[in-house]
Amino acid sequence: MEDSELFRQYRETKDVAVRNKIVEKYLYIAAVLAKKFVGRGVEYDDLYQVACLALIKGVERFDESKGLKFSTFITPTITGEIKNYFRDRSRLIHLPRRVAELRVSLKKASDEILSQTGKKPTVKQLAERLHVSEEEIVRAMEAGGVVSLDRTTEKEDDEGMNFYDILASDDGALESFENRDAIMSAVKGLNETERTILDYRFRQELSQTETARRMGVSQMYVSRMERKILEKLRTQLSKDMAD
Amino acid sequence: MEEIMSVTFPLESGLLTTVRLTTGGVCSLAGLDLDDSEDCKLCVTESLLVLLRNGFSRARLAFSLQGGLSVQICGESAGAPSAEEGQDELSLALLGALVKDLVMEREGDVVCKIAFRFGA
Repeated sequence: MEDSELFRQYRETKDVAVRNKIVEKYLYIAAVLAKKFVGRGVEYDDLYQVACLALIKGVERFDESKGLKFSTFITPTITGEIKNYFRDRSRLIHLPRRVAELRVSLKKASDEILSQTGKKPTVKQLAERLHVSEEEIVRAMEAGGVVSLDRTTEKEDDEGMNFYDILASDDGALESFENRDAIMSAVKGLNETERTILDYRFRQELSQTETARRMGVSQMYVSRMERKILEKLRTQLSKDMAD
Repeated sequence: MEEIMSVTFPLESGLLTTVRLTTGGVCSLAGLDLDDSEDCKLCVTESLLVLLRNGFSRARLAFSLQGGLSVQICGESAGAPSAEEGQDELSLALLGALVKDLVMEREGDVVCKIAFRFGA
């Protein structure tokens, strides 16, 4: 049966069996696209699952009457879902941990090969020993000195603070708020990082992406922090007004 | 436009890892974030596969800095396109989904040059 006929039939009947038939026909696209994103810290099976869910959603949303081929429609849909998944999960959790773990294994494997052969190992040898790609080895080697921003600092004075809390910021950056007592009072309740974000986003009017770049964090982090800061200011200002 | 580097190489699958590593290094020099770097690498390899399927046996890959990182991939040593139906469609849809300003040049039906930009 032609695609357009299948989609028309599904739209009219909402028969899950018809939907499944379409999904099965295009599962290969989910598999191909999931494979393209392997090697970024998320397992293939997880990516494939995300891609399959996006495929099902895509079948629900596709309108064959617009004349677009389903494969052309579904590719950006699945790609978008996979990228959202990475944004939500991998950047903050899996990748740094994976890289950190790989670095530990790298050191161990490197020492083993050196003691066995008397020669320092090549990237290829390390990749074979650790069953990862050469690219991952190179990346892990480049990631020297990477620490989590959530890690607690070791400095005595900053006990209990993480690296986000003590990121440097420009103290003079909030001059424009000086005459606004209420806001200033609320802003005083923010920590250094929050003030930096506030300054970049609302005084310098930088985009979230640029703010993230300057601070060396993800855009998602800036977005979340921004919401948190505005909520904090809103609460404080409401409290001040009530007083 | 400031060309950072260009490289010409045979379109062989064994070289794709080297190309990806090179691309990753250039992305890092250009200050691209992790997501953009990964997408850029994917787009470079996908473009090379498109050129391969369109009959080219060599490719020239050039990186330039112009409002971000500009990438140009041109096919060289043209031959007969392969008959893998639908593969290009998927690759091109993927490229279209990952880059905003994809430029593709064709000679007749054959895709001979792909260009895109990341960052800024």
